[in-house]
Amino acid sequence: MRYFEARVAKNESLSGGYFRLSLAGCHPLRESRPGQFVMLRGDWERDPLLPRAFSLLSVGSDGEAAILAKTVGRGTALLERAAAGARISVLGPLGTAFPAPSSQFIDLLVGGGVGIPPIYMQAAVAAGAGLAPRSEILYGGRRTSDLVLLDEMKAFGVGLHLATEDGTTGRHGRITAELEARLAVHAGKAPVRIMACGPNAMLWAVGRIARERDIPCFISVEEQMACGIGVCLGCAVPARSRPFRYVCKDGPVFDAADILDVAGDDPTQKPASTPPAGCLT
Amino acid sequence: MTAPPSQAAPAVRPRLAVESGGLSLQNPILTASGTFGYAREFESLTELGTLGGVITKGISPKPRFGNATPRICETAAGMLNSIGLENVGVEGFRTEKLPYLKTLGTRVVVNFFGVTFDEYVSCGEALASMDGVDALEMNVSCPNIKAGGIEFGTDPRVLGELVRVCRSVVRKPLWIKLTPNTSDIVALARACADNGADGLSIMNTITGMAIDARTRRPKIATVFGGLSGPAIKPIALRMVHQVFRAGVPLPISGIGGIQDATDVVEFLLAGASTVQVGTQNFADPDTACRIVRDLADLLASDGVTDVRELVGALRSS
Repeated sequence: MRYFEARVAKNESLSGGYFRLSLAGCHPLRESRPGQFVMLRGDWERDPLLPRAFSLLSVGSDGEAAILAKTVGRGTALLERAAAGARISVLGPLGTAFPAPSSQFIDLLVGGGVGIPPIYMQAAVAAGAGLAPRSEILYGGRRTSDLVLLDEMKAFGVGLHLATEDGTTGRHGRITAELEARLAVHAGKAPVRIMACGPNAMLWAVGRIARERDIPCFISVEEQMACGIGVCLGCAVPARSRPFRYVCKDGPVFDAADILDVAGDDPTQKPASTPPAGCLT
Repeated sequence: MTAPPSQAAPAVRPRLAVESGGLSLQNPILTASGTFGYAREFESLTELGTLGGVITKGISPKPRFGNATPRICETAAGMLNSIGLENVGVEGFRTEKLPYLKTLGTRVVVNFFGVTFDEYVSCGEALASMDGVDALEMNVSCPNIKAGGIEFGTDPRVLGELVRVCRSVVRKPLWIKLTPNTSDIVALARACADNGADGLSIMNTITGMAIDARTRRPKIATVFGGLSGPAIKPIALRMVHQVFRAGVPLPISGIGGIQDATDVVEFLLAGASTVQVGTQNFADPDTACRIVRDLADLLASDGVTDVRELVGALRSS
């Protein structure tokens, strides 16, 4: 983990309000693995105050790293407007990664909306390792414009299966329906692993599907965080193995069975507002 | 035509060392409790040995797991938190955290708390007895279970008694971190001075709230949380100066929204003799050490030879 300054190399507008921000000078990130993240902050003076966490989309051997984002608040709005040459402070690489691609498994990589970056990177790593035939991307969004970088993902040579809720591209419906279909295709053949990143409701549904079939499932979880290094303790998620685990240090990639939001019973509930059993308050 | 003689000041570095609250410090810059973990988290990100001191996460007698989530949210020029004083407990601190802190070459101040008088006493006594702990900072912004959850630190009589009983067992410098959630900060400061405290840390977070208008829910699970960051700096300056101007005979460590060396000078002018960098450690993990570097340059450029000259040197308006 390093703290350093990078410069915006390129800032591309994509469909659906997405943008890809490429940063030059990210040599300390070259060993990053899919699922790991960075904290980014521009020259924002006193407001907005905190850096923003982003899963890495790609890191080149030339030290150019990219993230994919969509404007949801003040920080992302500023990053969307960041011009080439703008200074960005970078803290990373942070957190845990998806398991490395393996010839022993078929990996179903499930991305929902803005959760696609670690899925994209995992597919790129699989392709680089000559394991593209062992990986499939399952990518869902509300509508066609939510699905970005499709040509690049096709070029990895992995299978690409799409779904949109409005039916304008790919399967009409949720990506989890596509996941069930792909699991049926692979049933009884090579062992399958699932890796997923996306909205909590999607992660919960993916976790349930994996649990029902006893399939290993790794999820990349998002939570508000201030520091990224295990200090602020803001990014706690209720877990099975301990009362809380921390997205920044213990995650963002977790075994889905350990995260109560995902392994629990109710997909719509945020964590309970009372401390879990075992809390000493 | 010849160039005029250089007007540059002689290259004498200003003195940054201070004695405050029973400690001698190489400079007045510390890191605030709860924003710097147990320091090791910052090992590869900054020069820990250059700090005046580090103040640890608040330690309770037993480990605590903290509050339900979500626990934090950003606000205008600041953030709200309700972490719930999660920490490793006294024994975890001694075995897992203190050995590293002892190697830093900077002052180690341990923040501590309890939920009863007895917990405060046992926690303070145990921590003060540890080799490598230079001073204690008492967090009094905790709910007093026996008093129906009212904070220990909001009633001068309760606070004075708490300081007195802890003072009797803590044989190291004892600082009290005051809550701003009060109408009379001077009365609280006096209660600490009258009962044997060695220093005051002013101030802890201000109670606040944030609402998501779309979901109509509070943004943090406990509804209310502690506001920190640059948004609260004017309030912190005011409280430091009130206590200083009232003549409360204790040195003050100023906290609240400090981001740079100029902010530090402002707190010193208001009456603080040391300062603590807090939430800004999240925004820029090198802030505190950068301030140490910048402060010497800033003082030199202003012709200040000793940082102690600035303490309380506020001019009248």
